[in-house]
Amino acid sequence: MSGLKLRGIRKSFGAVEVLRGIDLDIEDKEFVVFVGPSGCGKSTLLRLIAGLETISGGELDIGDKRMNDVDPSRRGIAMVFQSYALYPHMTVRENMGFALRFAGVAKAEIDRQVTEAARILELEPLLNRRPKELSGGQRQRVAIGRAIVRHPQVFLFDEPLSNLDAELRVHMRIEIARLHKELATTIIYVTHDQVEAMTLADKIVVLRDGAIAQVGSPLKLYDDPDNLFVAGFIGSPKMNFLKGIVDGSVVRLPDHGNQTIPLVAKAAHGSEVTVGLRPEYFKAGGASQLDVTVEMVEHLGSESYAYARHGAGDVLTIATQNDRELKGGDKLSARFDPAKALLFDPAGQRIR
Amino acid sequence: MAQAKLGRSEQVTGWAFVAPALVLLGIFMIYPIIWSLWMSFQVGKGMNLSFGGWANIIRLTKDPVFIRALVNTCIFFVVQVPIMIVLALLFAVALNDPKLRFRGLFRTAIFLPCVTSLIAYSTLFKSMFATDGVVNNALIWLHVVSGPIPWLQDPFWAKVLIILAITWRWTGYNMIFYLAALQNIDRSIYEAARIDGIPAWARFTGITIPMLKPVILFTTIISTIGTLQLFDEVNNITIGGPSDATLTLSLYIYNLTFKFMPSFGYSATVSWVIVVIVAILSFLQFLIARDRRPAA
Ligand SMILES: Nc1ncnc2c1ncn2[C@@H]1O[C@H](COP(=O)(O)OP(=O)(O)OP(=O)(O)O)[C@@H](O)[C@H]1O
Ligand SMILES: [Mg+2]
Repeated sequence: MSGLKLRGIRKSFGAVEVLRGIDLDIEDKEFVVFVGPSGCGKSTLLRLIAGLETISGGELDIGDKRMNDVDPSRRGIAMVFQSYALYPHMTVRENMGFALRFAGVAKAEIDRQVTEAARILELEPLLNRRPKELSGGQRQRVAIGRAIVRHPQVFLFDEPLSNLDAELRVHMRIEIARLHKELATTIIYVTHDQVEAMTLADKIVVLRDGAIAQVGSPLKLYDDPDNLFVAGFIGSPKMNFLKGIVDGSVVRLPDHGNQTIPLVAKAAHGSEVTVGLRPEYFKAGGASQLDVTVEMVEHLGSESYAYARHGAGDVLTIATQNDRELKGGDKLSARFDPAKALLFDPAGQRIR
Repeated sequence: MAQAKLGRSEQVTGWAFVAPALVLLGIFMIYPIIWSLWMSFQVGKGMNLSFGGWANIIRLTKDPVFIRALVNTCIFFVVQVPIMIVLALLFAVALNDPKLRFRGLFRTAIFLPCVTSLIAYSTLFKSMFATDGVVNNALIWLHVVSGPIPWLQDPFWAKVLIILAITWRWTGYNMIFYLAALQNIDRSIYEAARIDGIPAWARFTGITIPMLKPVILFTTIISTIGTLQLFDEVNNITIGGPSDATLTLSLYIYNLTFKFMPSFGYSATVSWVIVVIVAILSFLQFLIARDRRPAA
């Protein structure tokens, strides 16, 4: 049993409170991804779990044991750092075996473990090289190998792929997903790349300013965000936000020539709301419609994104499937299904 | 090659720019070095010199004072350099710990000795370590010793005093190099080691020391050269005494040239002994520190 339980976890550096009460349950063998904008406290939370920083308040359990004051090496965790943090003067073999030497493991067993990890990570031909003789992707694999040989219950990754180029990142992402299946352990993974988050995670934790904005499966966060922040953070290109005013049973869009869409949730007459529409919600045959002028089009091949606005209103991003003829200056009637529109109150909370 | 393509005028301009430096270097470095090598084969007193072949080298082997100075210098080098390097390393590691308070203060305090005036500190050491000086008084008051230690009178304690003095003066200097190197090490390497359960001593011997190896080699060679040329402290604190117990090669050269009946040729020979020892020791240190594991 190696789930984690976080209760009211707080962290302050001096007078600055960086984490403001984190409550989170992580199941055994779950792949959890922390995402959030830079500086929101992802790394700090991971480092608290690792024991590299002391916890200012709250309770941390790993596998049903309180771990607040336990030494990092005794928490059953292993961590992979963004900078790899390999021992530069040691070969790949020594890097992976170093920790075991101090864990009282016999030499033959260390060799066996290292060889096994090297096989899983396809590092066998590189075992006698130094880190500086490896590529970024290879170094990252060594760092993962160094974690694997310790057979941790929980793997912690802090932005492990952000120093790699785009292609290698995709490759390593698949590697990590494969590893998770093969090793069957709990993984906590920090990233600010939401594609990594969406593809890898069983559960995404969106952090904002040291607090959890929402926890859920990738598709749950995508389809059913709790607040404006999560709605805007998950999904690329970003969700469109339109200013709206509730007018009886419809929402009027003042920036869009007072066009109206049916009100899909409970909101008081006259109250201001924000209407969220993902670019891909625009589809031919929808019941509602926005008349806009295209400013610019991005053709990605499989689909195109039109950036359009009504009069002086905000720019909307509209995904179009087969409209390769579309160009700037064109008039467009963007149709969508109003039932898919998300409503948020002025505080940014979802109205359901 | 670019060199071949340089026009004549560029060549001239180039040489004109380096000429002043080359001339100065030639007059004040290369010429004296070659001249001293030539001198080292001259025998005779004062200006009355003649070529003596190996005579000076043979004289070296029979000169008890030279042997004395050589042994003293080696003792200083063998005892003091390791002590200082280890101390400097420990200070550097301690001062690099962000949890330590007043780091800036300690760092300054440890570095200050090497920017203080030599004469001032030598004089101060001399008075502090006098028979009735503060050091003896303090040691007696603390009941470490029953009677005063004859720092300046006893051959053994005089050596200890010199070692104390140069260690006090130069540890901070070496520490600065280590601190600079330590601050360049990625913190997460140590964090990885902590998570991996590497005990503190093994982090020091297994990670810090190997990563500082190039700097340690550099400071060891610099300190070796410094100790082999040790002159100021012995000249100012003990004047080589008592009875040549702290006489160093450099002090002996000084005495041969300026104190005794000048024997320029012979003192040049002794100087070249230092050069040869420095060369051999530096070579050995490089050999020891070399990477013996070529990349596969
Ligand atoms: N040792 C520290 N002392 C003081 N403040 C710190 C310390 N470490 C982090 N912080 C602050 O805590 C906040 C959260 O930092 P953290 O590194 O967790 O952000 P992050 O979410 O990982 O960001 P990024 O995506 O840029 O890595 C930041 O405002 C940072 O300035
Ligand atoms: Mg971070």
